[in-house]
Amino acid sequence: MDLIFAAVVVLSASSLGIPLFQVAAKKEKRWISGYVLVVALLSALAIVAFNSVAPQSDPAFKNLLISDSLGNFFAIVTVSVALFVAVASLEAIRKSDNAPIYYGLLSFTALGMLLLSFTQDLLMLFVSWELMSLPTYVLAGFDKKRVQSNEASVKYAILGAMSSAILLYAISLTYGLTGTTQIIPAVRAIAAQPFSLATSIAILLFVAGFGFKMSIVPFHMWIPDAYEGAPTTVSTLLAAATKKAGFVAAIRVLLAVTTVYVITQNPIFTMANILAVLALLTMTLGNAAALTQRSMTRLLAYSSIAQAGYILVGFVAYAYGLQTNAYSQQTNAYFIEATIGMTGALFHILNHAIMKGAAFLVAALVLLELKRGDVQAYNGLGRRMPLAAFTMTVAFLALAGVPPLNGFWSKLLLFLSVINGPFAWLAVAGIVNSAFSLGYYAWVIKRIYIDESESNEKIKEPIPFIVVFGVAVGLMIGLGLFPQQVINFASSAVPNIFPR
Amino acid sequence: MSFVLSLLILVPLVGAPVSYLAIRVNKRFGMLLTLAISAVAFAIASYSFWFLSANLPAPGQYVMSEKYIWINLSFISLDYLLGLDGLSAPLVVVSTLLVLLAIIGSRSQIGHHEAEYYALILLFEGSIVGVFTSLNLIFFYIFWELVLIPMFFLIGIWGGPRRKYAALKFILFTYGGSTIMLLGFLAVYLGTSVPTFDIPDLAGKIPPGLQYLPLLATFIGFGVKLPIVPFHTWLPDAHVEAPAPVSVLLAGVLLKMGGYGFIRISLGLFPQASIQYAWAFMLVGVVTMFYGAIVATLAKDLKRMIALTSINHMGFVLLGAYSTASSGSPLGVQGAIFQMFNHALAIGSLFMLSGYIHEQAGTREIPLLKGLRISMPRTATLLMLSSLAAMGFPIYSSFVSEFMVIAASISAYSPYAVTVLVPALTGAYFMWMLRRTVLSAPTGSVVVKDSSRLDSAALFAYLVPLFILLIFPYVILDPAAPVSQYILHLRGG
Repeated sequence: MDLIFAAVVVLSASSLGIPLFQVAAKKEKRWISGYVLVVALLSALAIVAFNSVAPQSDPAFKNLLISDSLGNFFAIVTVSVALFVAVASLEAIRKSDNAPIYYGLLSFTALGMLLLSFTQDLLMLFVSWELMSLPTYVLAGFDKKRVQSNEASVKYAILGAMSSAILLYAISLTYGLTGTTQIIPAVRAIAAQPFSLATSIAILLFVAGFGFKMSIVPFHMWIPDAYEGAPTTVSTLLAAATKKAGFVAAIRVLLAVTTVYVITQNPIFTMANILAVLALLTMTLGNAAALTQRSMTRLLAYSSIAQAGYILVGFVAYAYGLQTNAYSQQTNAYFIEATIGMTGALFHILNHAIMKGAAFLVAALVLLELKRGDVQAYNGLGRRMPLAAFTMTVAFLALAGVPPLNGFWSKLLLFLSVINGPFAWLAVAGIVNSAFSLGYYAWVIKRIYIDESESNEKIKEPIPFIVVFGVAVGLMIGLGLFPQQVINFASSAVPNIFPR
Repeated sequence: MSFVLSLLILVPLVGAPVSYLAIRVNKRFGMLLTLAISAVAFAIASYSFWFLSANLPAPGQYVMSEKYIWINLSFISLDYLLGLDGLSAPLVVVSTLLVLLAIIGSRSQIGHHEAEYYALILLFEGSIVGVFTSLNLIFFYIFWELVLIPMFFLIGIWGGPRRKYAALKFILFTYGGSTIMLLGFLAVYLGTSVPTFDIPDLAGKIPPGLQYLPLLATFIGFGVKLPIVPFHTWLPDAHVEAPAPVSVLLAGVLLKMGGYGFIRISLGLFPQASIQYAWAFMLVGVVTMFYGAIVATLAKDLKRMIALTSINHMGFVLLGAYSTASSGSPLGVQGAIFQMFNHALAIGSLFMLSGYIHEQAGTREIPLLKGLRISMPRTATLLMLSSLAAMGFPIYSSFVSEFMVIAASISAYSPYAVTVLVPALTGAYFMWMLRRTVLSAPTGSVVVKDSSRLDSAALFAYLVPLFILLIFPYVILDPAAPVSQYILHLRGG
């Protein structure tokens, strides 16, 4: 039984079936579509989880998809976030007449992310990339009567289309250079080639195309506007899920290719160096900009950019490990720093999905109940919405890397991986950034629990949100106390990046 | 394998939610339950101190060790490792005692959100015991950071008028310092032949070349906590704005984390680098001592003055610890440990008193407080007795510890004899404060209530150990001796 194919079938069926509620069901019955999607996502998640426990070797489309730990890891992360968003949306868009369309688009995005996680072919990668992206352009504009939502949608769609074009150009160059669209053979072919301008251009185009989704400086400009303008549940999806899909694509394509290839004839332009500079820029700019924000979703957007910078630190450690040819044939083990760094990056990707997903959903609930998105609205939230306030606090502490929460462990691994090499400055920059980021996280926590609010009226917190908050807080604390299993799972995915 | 230390950490940590719920149900019963929980913790701490005194470990060894594997993967391993020695045991005892006394003192000082307050105090207690007993760097760091979270809320919610600013400043300073300290911990992990974060396995195994930058990183982390002079500015704000019982915990317990870290980690893991730069650390210590004494003289607010005295007293700890590294005199580390213990008690009673005085007289401005001996005789007597303890007056053990530190520093470098001026200065500004507040003529007919008998008894409890320890200083100094010897052993002398 091919499990990945089964998951794809489940999500394809829900993607095609859910929109039918729009025409077939009466207005007051359309909410059912949300529950259908929740069930579909749960079953897809169960299938993928089973696949990671008892891996099935070859999927049906053998040359397109690969069943490995890396794919399982990302599929679990992205589908879980889609599930969170779907559950929270049960409340958030309860009153909308177009709910089936919303859930249908969400389902398509989930399908795209699932396929992208397991892809091992560049064309398949592009198809699933588009399958994931196109619905989110529409979702960003789902509040069609709100100007900001329309603006976010248009801006996101134009820049998204551009990044897709860049990506497609990179893929076509790669095909021209290597004669194959299979990722691993293409990687090997490129690695074997001497320096050529076309290869360098292809690689840089990949960086730009993926960097757009990964929210890496200087490809981050669309992020704050899109996250702020889009319905906040959709922003959750963008920040916590589609962004992660950008990372899996980058890991599968970029990291393996480029670490052994120097971009110019000048040896200083190794991939590790380029990534290190991007990491520094991304985390510093993200944190500095977040500090001055007055709108919660913009603050979260910039914080999300900063977190992408931390994840890149792990990429640097991995790239440097491969570049120094540290793979040991005898022990069949990677250079320890490369393993630590990549494991940290993968773990941080998972953690960021949980932490940022939880924080965005709190913002969504506050926006829904108070009709306000500025940070002032959070004053005294601890008394008005205790569960949401507690979730936000735990998420922010985890984002800042305060132990014993999950974000602490992944940052620990990330900084540990570079502290003893030539990139020690990156660890220092990361730690200083972490400390600095508490400036705005603690500032919001102070508002939640210490500042006085304008009104002390209690606000009822809807059940779907409470469920999601409970799961998220449980994961943040649980993974913080017992991180071993997940770190192990993440590390098992590392050898899949560049199989020997 | 022993389980006493785990129990000591878990009793308050598990007690926190229990007491929260109990106070929500019934305030009086819940507060008594909180008191009982902290009394149990103090009893366990006292037992473990007694156990340590009865079974003194060899230098570099620990009693009541507990080791469980927490993370064990090919590329990273972490242990749950606890242990007690002559450095940690006095601090554990004094921390649990101060928490107990602070809970008694909170009764009259805290008027709202009691459930949250007492739960946070217990959370703080569990974390602080974790800091002093864990022997794995990452495990230590987790507790180290966990201490900040309850403290942030305790200052921010129950503090004075500028509490928001003080809480934010507190958390940013201390978190900034400790993240840099974490870098130092990470740097040693892959640098040794067998990667480990366990302090006993790392001690003496870190190559000297790898000691300098981690030493600098930990210097910043512990220096912010202690605090030393350029990093001290969070302290007056936090201590003044916090409610009195929380100030007790801040000055009495939280600052000790810095001193503990300097001895356990800076000296214990990076001995060669420490010796080389001992002069710099001692210089910083002396500057801190003088700075604290001078600014305390100028302070107008009684509580601010007491807060600034802490800076002056914690300078002794740094000076003492590094005198041993520099001169090889065991007195320094022993004196530093003793000083931490004494300072905790003396400063605790002073902060509680400032809380009572503020509550009753409505002000803490020293020039406005007149004739306390008439209006609040019990409080005034206790203020005098506590001031004597803080001055290092020879009816208290604080005299012994300050004497030991100064003696050790002189044996390192004779011009440090100038540090005898610090107790003199301290004495001067305390005397001046007492003359203005206690001994002055009362003004007007402001009716003020004296502190209650129970509170006075609790305050007296801070001072009794100091008096007893003057006569029996070996209770602390004997367990501290192996710590001192171990530092000397690492130093190669």
